[in-house]
Amino acid sequence: MSVADNVPINQIVYARSNGGRVLIPEAVLATISPYVQDSWDKTEAGGVIMGRYIKDCDDIVVDKITLPMPGDKSSRFSFFRNKKSHQKIVDREWEASFFTCTYLGGWHTHPEPVPSPSFDDKYDWKRKMKQDVFDSDYLFFMIVGTAEIRLWEGNKHTSSITALNRV
Amino acid sequence: MADIQKQFAEFHEAIKLKRFEENSTLVEKRDIILNKLDAGLKKNFEAKNEPVPKYNKFNQGSYEMGTGIKPLNGDYDIDVGISFKVAKDDYSDPVDVKKWVYEALDGHTKRVEMRRPCVTVFYQKEGETEYHVDLAVYSDEECNSDKKKYLAKGNLNSSSDNKIWEHSEPCQLTDLINDHYSGDDHKQFVRVIRCLKRWKDNNFKIDGNAAPVGIGLTVASYDYYVPKKDLVDAFASKYNYNDLAALKYVVSRMINSFTTYYDSGTSSERLKTYLPVEPRCDVFVKMTDIQMADFKKQLNALLDALNSAEEEVDPVTACETLQKIFGDDFPVPEKSDTAQKKGPAIITSSASA
Repeated sequence: MSVADNVPINQIVYARSNGGRVLIPEAVLATISPYVQDSWDKTEAGGVIMGRYIKDCDDIVVDKITLPMPGDKSSRFSFFRNKKSHQKIVDREWEASFFTCTYLGGWHTHPEPVPSPSFDDKYDWKRKMKQDVFDSDYLFFMIVGTAEIRLWEGNKHTSSITALNRV
Repeated sequence: MADIQKQFAEFHEAIKLKRFEENSTLVEKRDIILNKLDAGLKKNFEAKNEPVPKYNKFNQGSYEMGTGIKPLNGDYDIDVGISFKVAKDDYSDPVDVKKWVYEALDGHTKRVEMRRPCVTVFYQKEGETEYHVDLAVYSDEECNSDKKKYLAKGNLNSSSDNKIWEHSEPCQLTDLINDHYSGDDHKQFVRVIRCLKRWKDNNFKIDGNAAPVGIGLTVASYDYYVPKKDLVDAFASKYNYNDLAALKYVVSRMINSFTTYYDSGTSSERLKTYLPVEPRCDVFVKMTDIQMADFKKQLNALLDALNSAEEEVDPVTACETLQKIFGDDFPVPEKSDTAQKKGPAIITSSASA
């Protein structure tokens, strides 16, 4: 699956470790696609992932992501996300959705085809599982490469991070 | 899997017609016709100095089977059986007996027609047919030596070959459908039939035999349906009914039952489905081969939609897919109705590399 060559992608579904699934719909993929680091002058980008824990099952639907905003800092190989502006959006979406569109985790880009987390990424993810406040046992971390989008599931209780496979 | 049984239940509530006797408007319309029939028979026979024929009346059709759905075009139909206490052998021409009904009712509304299986009285409001009453005319089983009920078939100007007394047991069919399953399984059986009938109304042209007949979908469901439910609590033996799975099963079995028939150099692929009671005919026999091919194509499209809704992670998208195939009465939930409510979140700054 390529995100760089502008081939339309319907959606991506990942299998969770507990039997549930995570859906990234086409609309979300379209929002991310301009930030793919497919040329030398594009810097890293990132934001927050929000969505729904579907009733009566372990499925999750990603409905919203935040994009780079004033206060964020971005270079070819790093991205710093300022909490204030992203927090505002998280609060707004949560209230507007009758408290169902919730904070799920974060995303950022990498200038490599099949992305994997750096040492710093993993450190940051583990820190967020401890310090962020969220009403769930899991956070999800997405890295958008130039050829693939990959997703990891972090367990708050065990601090373990698992790469999820596509369904 | 997204749980969309709630939407199936809402869809069913939206399309179902109550049983006939529970619908006071239709009962009233039927009784007006029956009073008119009594008066007309009396007048016509007394004028001839002949005894007025006696008959039993009974409700038949989808109302009695509890499988009726609201019509999309607003044309409700009322099915009544008129079983005359006459022996079929005394009337070699069944149309003579149908004429009693036709002549007693002719002129009651602007449009009264003798059709091959029945006499139909149309009611119109502002030029549109509001509803019609089909009166099927029978020779009662009590009066026939073989103790069977016979339907009078034929038109006023049919050739004698097309005028027949056909052994027919509409009440037995009603009983078979009503007793096929019991309790909640029966309720799912009926939901499946109604879903298929609305799917038919939503996907086929109404003229001629382009659409599979409703009774055909009922009989196919009778042949193929099995209860589908998911175990949710093994200790309490609690099950949730899964109408999507039940429909998928019936539709796949219908598709797989299409058979190619070879006949002197030609071949045709058909779904033959026989009434489980007399006259035990193929209920889809009137469809042409081209209409049959379209029927199969539409069944495949329905199965694709059901599969895609079942696979779909987002219940909103799943219901949008089903709304396309079942029509606007299939509800699409708000996103917020499909998800768990969550507490507030506080995010920290993030540094990635």
